[in-house]
Amino acid sequence: MMILLTGGSGCGKSFYAESLCVKLPAPRYYIAAMRPFGEESLKKIEKHRRMREGKGFETIERYTDLASLTLPMRGTVLLECICNLTANEMFDENGSYEDPFERVIKGTDALLSQSSHMIVITNDVSSDGRIYDSGTMAYIRALGKINAALAQRADTVCEVVCGIPVIRKGALPF
Amino acid sequence: MILIVGGEGSGKRTFAKSLGYSEEDMADGCLNGLPVVYHVERMVFSAPEKIDSLFTELLKKEVVICDEVGSGVIPIDPGERIGREAVGRLCIRLAQEADRVVRMICGIPSVIKGGET
Repeated sequence: MMILLTGGSGCGKSFYAESLCVKLPAPRYYIAAMRPFGEESLKKIEKHRRMREGKGFETIERYTDLASLTLPMRGTVLLECICNLTANEMFDENGSYEDPFERVIKGTDALLSQSSHMIVITNDVSSDGRIYDSGTMAYIRALGKINAALAQRADTVCEVVCGIPVIRKGALPF
Repeated sequence: MILIVGGEGSGKRTFAKSLGYSEEDMADGCLNGLPVVYHVERMVFSAPEKIDSLFTELLKKEVVICDEVGSGVIPIDPGERIGREAVGRLCIRLAQEADRVVRMICGIPSVIKGGET
């Protein structure tokens, strides 16, 4: 079973995702795709870590190439987030993929095949109407395409608005 | 309190007018005695450190209107990034306290908390 959660910055996606995960069977794996870089991301990582405390997650840091990841056991997976993963595949020291679509989708498919339940967090970055450099534009388009492919695979797609889940496909398990 | 959110130009104030308010009832990005306030996101961006007192004041309003600003590319400017995140967090708190939350898309209201329109 796969749930895709989307929503803008600061909409409460992470908190909502964790509230779903704790109702799903253990073991629970938190796949962290945000590379710790700079004070701000460290703070964000620390905030997320504190929020997850006591919820029974094993944290696995993985910034690129999810396809080669083997989980210790079948369980509930929380993948956060596709925006970072996609950016890493494109712009990271290990990532130089002009079109990260295949890499990201193969990776999420591989994770899905190893999980009983998978919750994937993404974001829509395409709604500010600005024109960026060609690399950023390629990123925006790639993420849009990846999000659409993930939504096709997902049993449930849910947009989080002001902390409120708004269903876009399927139904929530509870 | 009714919270109305949506993108720029999505019909938030027009919707507020359908509830019986007029332009004269609406304060543009400032706190005064009027029952409706809009451009809350601008108030956050101009003074993110005052967010707690802003939150308290907004709870006294009948209608609070805020642009959704979190669905673009993550800004390079740290002030913009922090402001954007702060707008989102404030909206979560407002939504928790609101009797009704309405989300506008293309002029169409969706009531996402508090029943039908």
